[in-house]
Amino acid sequence: MRRTFRAVTSLVVVAVLSACSAGTGKGASDVSGSPESQNTITVFAASSLTKSFTEIGKQFEAENPGLKVVFSFGASSTLAEQINSGAPADVFASASKKSMDSVAALIPNSKVFATNRVVVAYPVAKPLKAIADLNNPAIKWVQCDHQVPCGIAADAALTADGVTGTPVSLEPDVKSVTGKLTALEVDAAIIYATDVKSSGSDFAALEFSNQEKATTKYPIGVTLSAKSKAQAFVDFVFSEAGIKVLGQAGFGGLYTGG
Amino acid sequence: MACTQVAKKNPTVSPAITAIGFVGLLVVLLPVIALLSRVPWSNLLNQLTSESSINAIRVSLITSVIAALISVLLGVPLAWYLARGPEGITKWLRPIVISPLVMPPTVAGLALLTLMGRNGLLGKFIYEQTGWAMPFTMAAVVLAGIFVGMPFLVLVVEAVFRQIPVELEEAAQTLGANPSKVFLRISFPLARGGVISGLVLAWARALGEFGATLTFAGSLPGVTRTLPMEVYVAMEVDPASAYSISAMLVVIAITVVFLLRSNLIKAFSGR
Repeated sequence: MRRTFRAVTSLVVVAVLSACSAGTGKGASDVSGSPESQNTITVFAASSLTKSFTEIGKQFEAENPGLKVVFSFGASSTLAEQINSGAPADVFASASKKSMDSVAALIPNSKVFATNRVVVAYPVAKPLKAIADLNNPAIKWVQCDHQVPCGIAADAALTADGVTGTPVSLEPDVKSVTGKLTALEVDAAIIYATDVKSSGSDFAALEFSNQEKATTKYPIGVTLSAKSKAQAFVDFVFSEAGIKVLGQAGFGGLYTGG
Repeated sequence: MACTQVAKKNPTVSPAITAIGFVGLLVVLLPVIALLSRVPWSNLLNQLTSESSINAIRVSLITSVIAALISVLLGVPLAWYLARGPEGITKWLRPIVISPLVMPPTVAGLALLTLMGRNGLLGKFIYEQTGWAMPFTMAAVVLAGIFVGMPFLVLVVEAVFRQIPVELEEAAQTLGANPSKVFLRISFPLARGGVISGLVLAWARALGEFGATLTFAGSLPGVTRTLPMEVYVAMEVDPASAYSISAMLVVIAITVVFLLRSNLIKAFSGR
């Protein structure tokens, strides 16, 4: 009995210690600025970039042996808040100019690399006929919360199309909105054209009539405290390879050189 | 012999261990102090009575209280079965009942969605029959609260039931009381302290629920947006409001723990 107890205790101790060393190991190398940490680029990127940037990151790592890209995806407004609170980001790719502007003190230079537009997505099995259907209380729909870029674009586009109905939920980011649709818990969702494309053939979308209001610009920039290698990732996003991935995902306004 | 002498003479703890212990204490204490230092105390009442705060307080109070009451209604009988039922069955049931305590909240939300969503195991049937779906309703917030809160109540109440001598219940039965009457007249009144502790714990857990609620119920002001979700949203829009609500939740949490301290001691000491 006592032996079992000891065995269990030592297992727990080992687990705790190894967890600790893994944690402090990373922290320590960050502080000392060892080559290992200098070669890891931390990228904060909008939720809507999850698939494309993961792919771009893979290609970037393949072309730059020794460099490693770590992503943190989330609502641009949340990421901006984290960067302002001291989160260790090297690169920030935002889904709106507004969120990028809010970190201007830490990221003075940014450049638009793509555009995206919100659309009204619905399941093909239960199609939506017109955007005005969103005014029908029997139609359940969701959108991003009002301060998140996808919510700001949705609010503007919905108003322009005269939608006065209310969503059943205001979600914290576009992934969460898309999740409610793919789980078929709602009849429609205001998400990006790129999200519709990546959610497969079971979903289709209606375009808003005011494309300008529905469109959001994606700026990218490096932080003042960024590691020297961070710019290489940004350059890669603007490279032919990066543009190809973004184009396939359905992003618009892509950089064409010059 | 030598041992007892040492213990009697010098019951102090090692300074080194004490020092480590106090580091542990600081890990718990400092974040709360830091949080409270940001709270705009002079403007607290205004922050807590803003429209969005009031909405969230209302949603949270209604749903967490209902969740706690239903947890008592269902959890006390369950705790009694776990305490008095056949060991061969209860030893398998207990881990299942407690599992929501260690389940990641988003996973709990997904589990509820796959059961009660429009396409869920049960939810699909209900939706087809009645046209009603649980997600995005206050009922969904309540169910999420029960799912994560009731296990606390069951844990505490079962422990209290186990403290009640079986002989007492047997005596009542020999005197002619049927099992239901024994439960209602003997066991339940004796376990009252534990039930109250469990109720408060379940309520506090339901009040703090975030992940499962967001996944299962969504987040709409006045309907499903609870206080923790309001804190999350306000962090970006109105940090002062986020800190104010956080302060209120911290005060509630600390009050609950202090109230329960005496209650839990009573419940577990067997009186």
